[in-house]
Amino acid sequence: MQPKTGHRHPITATIAEINDIFSRIGFSLAEGPEMEKEHYNFDRLNVAKDHPSRDMQDTFWLKSEDVDEPTVLRTHTSPVQARYMDTHKPPIRIIVPGKVFRNEATDATHEAQFYQLEGLCVDEEINLGHLKGVLEYFFSNFLKGEVEVRFRPSFFPFVEPGLEVDMRLLSGESKLKGKWVEIFGAGMVHPNVLKESGIDPKKYTGYAFGGGIDRLIMIKYGIDDVRNLYAGDLRLVNQF
Amino acid sequence: MLVSYNWLKDYLGEDLPSVDEVVELLTFHAFEIEGTEKVGGDTQIEVNVLPDRASSCLSHRGIALELAVLLNKPLVVDQLKDETELPVLDDFKIEIEDKADCSRFMLALMEGVKVGPSPKWLKERLETLGQRSINNIVDATNYVMFGLGQPMHVYDSDTFSKKDDKWNFVIRRAKAGEIVKLLPEKTGAEDREVDLKGTELLVVNGESDQAVALAGIKGGTYAGLHEGTTNIILEAANFNSTLTRKTARALGILTDASKRFENEVSSTLPPYAMRTIVELITEIASGELKGVSDQYPMVQAESVVTVHPDRVNKVLGLSLEESFMKDVLFRLGAEISESESGWLVTAPKERVDLTIEENYIDEIGRIYGLSNIVSITPENLPLAEINANHYYSEKIRKILGELGFSEVMTSSFRKKDQIHLQNALASDKEYLRSSIIPAIEEALALNIQNVDILGLRDVRMFEIGTVFTKDDKGKAREHVVLTIGARVKKTGYSAKDDVIVNEAIKALIEAGLEIGVGAKQGICETNLDKLISALPEPTKYEPNVPLSDITYKPFSVYPAIVRDIAMWVPENTDIDSIGRILKDGAGELCERITLFDEFAKDGRISYAFRLVFQSYEKTLTDDEVEPYMAAVYRAVEKAGFDTR
Repeated sequence: MQPKTGHRHPITATIAEINDIFSRIGFSLAEGPEMEKEHYNFDRLNVAKDHPSRDMQDTFWLKSEDVDEPTVLRTHTSPVQARYMDTHKPPIRIIVPGKVFRNEATDATHEAQFYQLEGLCVDEEINLGHLKGVLEYFFSNFLKGEVEVRFRPSFFPFVEPGLEVDMRLLSGESKLKGKWVEIFGAGMVHPNVLKESGIDPKKYTGYAFGGGIDRLIMIKYGIDDVRNLYAGDLRLVNQF
Repeated sequence: MLVSYNWLKDYLGEDLPSVDEVVELLTFHAFEIEGTEKVGGDTQIEVNVLPDRASSCLSHRGIALELAVLLNKPLVVDQLKDETELPVLDDFKIEIEDKADCSRFMLALMEGVKVGPSPKWLKERLETLGQRSINNIVDATNYVMFGLGQPMHVYDSDTFSKKDDKWNFVIRRAKAGEIVKLLPEKTGAEDREVDLKGTELLVVNGESDQAVALAGIKGGTYAGLHEGTTNIILEAANFNSTLTRKTARALGILTDASKRFENEVSSTLPPYAMRTIVELITEIASGELKGVSDQYPMVQAESVVTVHPDRVNKVLGLSLEESFMKDVLFRLGAEISESESGWLVTAPKERVDLTIEENYIDEIGRIYGLSNIVSITPENLPLAEINANHYYSEKIRKILGELGFSEVMTSSFRKKDQIHLQNALASDKEYLRSSIIPAIEEALALNIQNVDILGLRDVRMFEIGTVFTKDDKGKAREHVVLTIGARVKKTGYSAKDDVIVNEAIKALIEAGLEIGVGAKQGICETNLDKLISALPEPTKYEPNVPLSDITYKPFSVYPAIVRDIAMWVPENTDIDSIGRILKDGAGELCERITLFDEFAKDGRISYAFRLVFQSYEKTLTDDEVEPYMAAVYRAVEKAGFDTR
């Protein structure tokens, strides 16, 4: 018997759910191109040319004859921060879910393409407390349970302070309950990133966060091999 | 960076907390720790030093200072502390062609050293870091590099030819075609000759114009150390980070030295490093310092930043006392002078990374502990905009889902297509897809073989995704497409496929989504960007229906075996109870039971079920399935049903 309904891919279903959770607290969904100018993917995010921080992400490059200026497959959804701030004035609250690409060997937890969620909030009087609050709000709604969020120092060129976000589920039935999981990168938007978009860092501050949607799905549903998400295989999709 | 716990003890004293406590402190206040490992009587700690801290923390002294600040105690020893006055020697001539390439070049002459094995303690230190002991002099240069972060190099002064009775060192760019002979890699035994392009920076003997080192990356074989060496020239320099990085990458020669120069180690270090190595060599290889020569054409500017204590709290969301903030900055080695506009903070000389107020906010925040940030619950706010792409994509997913279409995602990479990547991952992923049709074709072919295990009669799928094409000027462009496909027969395309896809298109058109193309070979693809741009702007999202809470089950990659069973049952028989009987009889290898036919006749009902057997360990044979099917038949007959 053909079932009455087809199945949603867990990634788009998760993006829709993420959008639903964030829309309640005023975060609009923003998008940008998957083929991104080097200028937006790196330079505008305070990643200096020939700086070791460029090595933090292995990049696919387009051939120069095919593009007007150096272009990459975006290595993160962060360039949309800069694009959005170029065309919008604070207060800004956006999430950016989207496909990103990393030129690294694939295995059960790494695929050359995956989905990332970016979040950005720029307003007057924004601080790390707001960031922690928004992450707790999101994770607890997404994982349907009480969560604890923990910050550790880290580094991403487009934030300062930069931090690593760990999360621990405190309630529910999940196997993960009680375990700290490293889940997102985050921090306060670097003043250079604000300035480049014509936003005065003395007047406005902001936070940004980002992480893999695939990873969120693996955690939530216990998917063992991330590559199965992109195999066009209904043996995965039809379980959802 | 590999760190020796015992070496940290040298800096912090015997009462340094345990390895676990050190790991904990660093994890929550400074760096991620990749792991620890016991090595002899020491412990190796692998610290992941990220690029923002690499200028000062690719060194034991740097990591030790972090701990000293956190433990609120002074360093027991600190080689960067007291100013140093080393005797000046007139036997060197140093010419720096461009100070932007080399901001500092310092040499020292030592006489009467004895090359030999290193003392046990030094061997052990290096061993903890996974380094092989070579001899006391070379080990001393490594000890200073891993201790202070300042790479060093050493020459035999007797085999280094002079000009006008002086050792002439020239730091210049290579000439195209010039050759430099390099020392072997740690692992390799062979010296290497490298042909240079002309962009690289060299240290050259001015007398013969011969390259003696690839600056900041690797020493040359010229005037190399040997067992009989007694007089040595020590070099501590500072080379441009970008240049070092570019050369190291271009030549594929990544060394501990190049890593440190790439990360912009402070140019104030050479005299401290020189003093440290001279003391060490004197101790472990005897010898005597004759003097030094120091060319420092580009003096590192003092970094003075205005820090506003109230802004520190504003950004962190904390209410720290000013006295606490000041104390943290002092402990880090910064100097503070108060001014009308805030604190004027001078960074410690080795911290070239502290250049803006936010850097200090970061320092104060992490030393205090980011785990102390108090969360502020977000408020409900209205949305500034509704995303039309998301809104209409969701609408399409809903309509297609109701018609039995499942959503897939396939790879953006293809073996052959229009746009060729400059640096592909693999030969079958060299191009970007210009259409999703080929991937949907492949997915239909894959999934139609699995219809029984999926419990489907046919396969219906769609994907919404970005494709990459060339415009009329040959430039790469991207747009989003919707691709819909169906497959009925395992043997391949049939006309029925088009019928199913066209029904879906009809349903989309009825919902106002003008697809504008029909199915071909069971697939249709349409430009979704174009389609959505012509639609009205949505004013609010439809309510979202979240996925149900499932736990995903990995699927078996082995082929399945299919068996059908048909039976007559009385009219009022509960179908679920039949299902249970079948399931119990079929055992654990039965993955799916599907009812695929039913009709009523003469007060009885005929049901036909399909059982799919599959193992997670191997391909099943007919013989392995037979006993289970026999059990199913027995169970059905025992229940009083007639099998057909």
